[in-house]
Order: sequence, then structure tokens, then C-alpha cells
Amino acid sequence: MTGFSIFVLLVLVLAVLLVVMGVKAVPQGREYTVERFGRYTRTLTPGLNLIVPLVDRIGAKLSMMETVLDVPQQDVITRDNALVTVDGVVFFQVLDAARAAYEVSHLENAILNLTMTNVRTVMGSMDLDELLSQRDKINAQLLTVVDEATTSWGVKVTRIEIKDISPPRDLVDSMGRQMKAERDKRAAILEAEGLRQAAILKAEGEKQATILAAEGRREAAFRDAEAREREAEAEARATAVVSQAIGAGSVQAVNYFVAQRYVAALEKVASAPNQKVLMMPLEAASVIGSIAGIGELAREAFATRPAPTLPPTLPPGIPPA
Amino acid sequence: MSGIEFWHWLSLGAILAVVEMVAPGVYFLWLGIAALLVGGVAWLWPDLHWQYQVLLFALFAIADVTLSRRWMRARPAVTDQPHLNRRGEQYVGRLLTLDQPIVDGVGRAHVEDTMWRVSGPDLPAGQRIRVVGVDGATLRVEAA
Repeated sequence: MTGFSIFVLLVLVLAVLLVVMGVKAVPQGREYTVERFGRYTRTLTPGLNLIVPLVDRIGAKLSMMETVLDVPQQDVITRDNALVTVDGVVFFQVLDAARAAYEVSHLENAILNLTMTNVRTVMGSMDLDELLSQRDKINAQLLTVVDEATTSWGVKVTRIEIKDISPPRDLVDSMGRQMKAERDKRAAILEAEGLRQAAILKAEGEKQATILAAEGRREAAFRDAEAREREAEAEARATAVVSQAIGAGSVQAVNYFVAQRYVAALEKVASAPNQKVLMMPLEAASVIGSIAGIGELAREAFATRPAPTLPPTLPPGIPPA
Repeated sequence: MSGIEFWHWLSLGAILAVVEMVAPGVYFLWLGIAALLVGGVAWLWPDLHWQYQVLLFALFAIADVTLSRRWMRARPAVTDQPHLNRRGEQYVGRLLTLDQPIVDGVGRAHVEDTMWRVSGPDLPAGQRIRVVGVDGATLRVEAA
């Protein structure tokens, strides 16, 4: 083989190597840094890129996509001395490939450690109750601190989330008991309040009923008194009328009425169906006396008139003496 | 060696194109194009010595890479998402409210669900600002 042939073959190898080493196709979502003799010169963006294979070299290949890192579980002691186990996630994105490649070594490890120490700082300054109820605040505070620190690395920390906060088992039990006691207390108070309310309502009802009853009695008494008054008035008037009549006529007229009543009462007593034996003070003499009074009355009446032609007859309804 | 004719170069070009399709790396494409070009030359001058053919292949391989790059620079590929993976540039032109005042050129503002460092003229908190540019993880802003 001639020297020229050897040279040609070497040129072929060199050309193939130049093409293979010099052509860099960067996929979307990544960026490569280029070092010329070890010094950073530029960043290759997605697409077809050429570098000079003899002097340029690819330094770091960085993902420009948002990346999530798991923050491993760690123990944190809160301000009130509770030991809680915490884990979380960090989302970050490289915005400046050169800084992320050369300003920090082991970028992910650095972010992770920064986050872990800050988790301890932030959560260690809070009480357990605060810790459990204020995750948003913790996340925001962590984000501010970590993002500030990573800015010089060309990295943007977009989110830090505390995933899980788990207090020790016995503390959780106590918290459960505390909550139960709180509910029990509320239930007991409500129950007592109900009973009190019920008693008050009942007493009030009774009071109202008593008042109403008394009022009824009062009203009835008033009416009774009025009735008695009226009765007395009527009686007085009746007595006055009777005494007037008596004054104008004869005493025998009174006897007429008495006899009438007397006889009517006798009739009633005698016709009572369930009375077989009748015990009553019946003064036959007085009845007869009354009837005699009527006879007197009649005689008087007739005496003042011209003598009748017919024998005197008793009025109907009056039994013969 | 002297028995090389243009069919061999054309075959090599086809093979390299197939290799590029099967194992994309954008290397074999240029070698394949160079082989096809040499195949064309060998068809025109069948008497060309094989050493010159190989030299031409090496020359074409390097030339087509550099020329294509120049050609592509002049006509960049059109993309629907020019700001893909460039978070800061997606916010350029956006109106924001300052959360912390800009003191000595640096402040903070809320963008979507996270905070961004902003740089610009000193402004009080609550001021409306407009994003005009981006430096890494810092947004350049001015009063809106």
C-alpha cells in the first residue's frame, strides 16, 4: 500500500470522527454546556448543534424540565418538644444551565440538603398545633428561604410541599382522647342546658295554669256575688210587692198561695215512683188550716158582694175540705 | 480496492440513511449524504481513482455538515412553543403585583403559585409591574 493510500484512509477516519463528534443534537428539555479547553464557552440549546471536536467538549448535560425531589423522612423537634417525623417534596427547574452546572456541584444533593435543614429550622420554631394546622405557612416560608439560596445556582425552586407530618403514636392517641373529651364536654353541657330549659318551661306552664285557675275562680266569685245581689234585689222587690198587695188586700191572700204550694208538693211526693214508704213531717192540721184560710178568703170576698144565687163552689184543683 | 464504482457509494449512502433512521444520532445522515454525493461524482467520472473518491467523501462529509448548519441558521425550524423549557421567558410582558418592595434593585413578586425574584428600579410593595426580561431565575421588571 502506498503512503498516499494510508493518508487517504487516515483522512477518512478523521472526517468520520469529526462528523460523529462534532454533531450534537440536543433533545427538547435539555441543554448541554460546551467547554473549550476546559473553560465554559456556551450552552447548546435544543436542536442541531455543531462543536469543534478537537477543542470543544461537552461539559454537563442538564435537564431544563421541572424536576421533583423527594425529601426523605426526618425527625424534627418542635418548639414544645414534640418529636415529629416529616417528609416532603421539592419541585425545581434549572433556568440557567451554565450556573447550575458550574456554580454548584451535586445540584440535587445541594437542594435536598438545603431543604432538609430549612425544614428543621422552620418547623422547629413552631408548636405542634401550629405545625399541624399551618402547612401553607410552612410551605411558603420554606419556599422563600430555599428559593433565595438557590437563585445563585440558576435554579428556580417552584414549590416545596410538606407531604406528611406524623407525631409519635402515643401523642396521636392523646390528641384523639383530647378531642373526644372536648366533644363529651360539649355534649354534657348541651344536655344539662336542655334539662334546665325543660324545667323552666314546665314551671312556667304550671305557674300560668295556677294563675288562670285563680283568675277563673275570681271571675266566678264575682259573678256569684252579682247573682246573689240580683237575687236579693229581686226578692226584696217581690217582698215589697207582696207586702203592698197584702197591705191593699187581706192576709188570707198569702195563705192562698201557701196552700197551693203545699198541696202541689204533697202531690209530687205522693206520685214519686220509687218511694213506697214516705216519712215526712206532715201536719195535716196546717194543711187544713191553710184550706180554712182559703175558705175565709172566699167568704170575705163574697161578703163584699151581693149574695150569690148559686151555692158557693170551690175553684178547680182544690180538693174539698 | 480499485474496483469501487458509483454503485458502491450509492449503496453505502442508502445503508447509512437506514442506520440513521434505525438509530437516530444525526451522525450517519451526513455521512450518508456525502456517500450519495461521491456516488454522483463517480457516476460522472468513472475513471476517478479510489483514493480521490475517499478523499472526496471525507471532504463532502465535513462540508455538508457545516453548510447545512449555516442553511439551518438562516431558516430556523418553526415551533409552536418557542418558550418551551424557558420558564422566565413565558412571563415576559405579563403584569404582576409586587409582594415585597424593590430595594436596591431586588424584590419579590407572586407569579402563578410561586414567588419570583424581580429586579428593577426601586418600587413600593403593591405596585403594578410589567416583566420586560429575564436573567436566569430573576425577572427584570419596570413599573406598569
